Amino acid sequence: MTDPTSEILMFQVGARVFAAVVHDAVRIGAVREAAADELVVETALGLPFSRERGIVVATQQAEVERTLVVDQVVGIRSVPESDVHPLPAFAAACIGSGAVTGFVMVDEAPMLLVDLPTLVRERAGAAAPA
Amino acid sequence: MPESKPTTEREGKAAAEESADAWFFCLRMLGGRYAFEAPLVTEVVRLGPLTRLPAAPAFLPGVFTHRGEVLPVLDIGQLVGRTAVPIRASTRAAIVHCGPWKVAVVSDAVEGLVSIPRRTLEPPPAEAGGVAEFLSAVGRDRAGTVAILDLPRLVETARARAVPAGGGAA
Repeated sequence: MTDPTSEILMFQVGARVFAAVVHDAVRIGAVREAAADELVVETALGLPFSRERGIVVATQQAEVERTLVVDQVVGIRSVPESDVHPLPAFAAACIGSGAVTGFVMVDEAPMLLVDLPTLVRERAGAAAPA
Repeated sequence: MPESKPTTEREGKAAAEESADAWFFCLRMLGGRYAFEAPLVTEVVRLGPLTRLPAAPAFLPGVFTHRGEVLPVLDIGQLVGRTAVPIRASTRAAIVHCGPWKVAVVSDAVEGLVSIPRRTLEPPPAEAGGVAEFLSAVGRDRAGTVAILDLPRLVETARARAVPAGGGAA
């Protein structure tokens, strides 16, 4: 009997690679295909070096999509659910972003697991006028 | 007088407690010796590679995996506005349980268990701010002075000072 698995999407922002649950991404596309006001460039994950690839994310508002700008989409990987860990309680209570939800062990190294809808929502909230 | 016996026993017990040693767990950091209640420590480990967290306060330099568990690292130096504890391959950390929180406290060196006669424990200096804010007592043993930290209060203060989720930047 095999472990249940999760499909994760791995992407790079700046020098680091992050993971997200595949179904959080609507599609992968080129940044030039998205309207400027839909782009989410700077987030808690930092700034991408380039602005060519984007991960399209659905928001809570119906029919509103945001495109998270990333340096590259590394790929999709199936990982055993036993390799997915929540953020330690103390870390979750201290960090300034609710988008980092845990870790995925990839090749025995922890990779940050990011909730994409929360990430783009936080940025939209931070960018909204007071 | 039979009625006085329980009182005498209580007084005797109190006197024995007063003269007994208290056990603390001692770390070297911030240029001195700091200790906290020994039962808070579950183990001492060598830090693995740190994974830094986005939007994390300076006192939380990252997390590491230990026996399949992801543990947050607490740098007390950064919390109290002093220099960060250098994190190297040889850096060791004490894993502590403080209420609901489990953290790995990094230090320059781990001294281990120390016993301090309770009668030598004195109130901390009346300084405001810095690490003095978290001292519960100052004691002495053969190796010198030991500052006793109220670690649960320190950890809880760290959490309270952190930027709440959703309210910070990278």
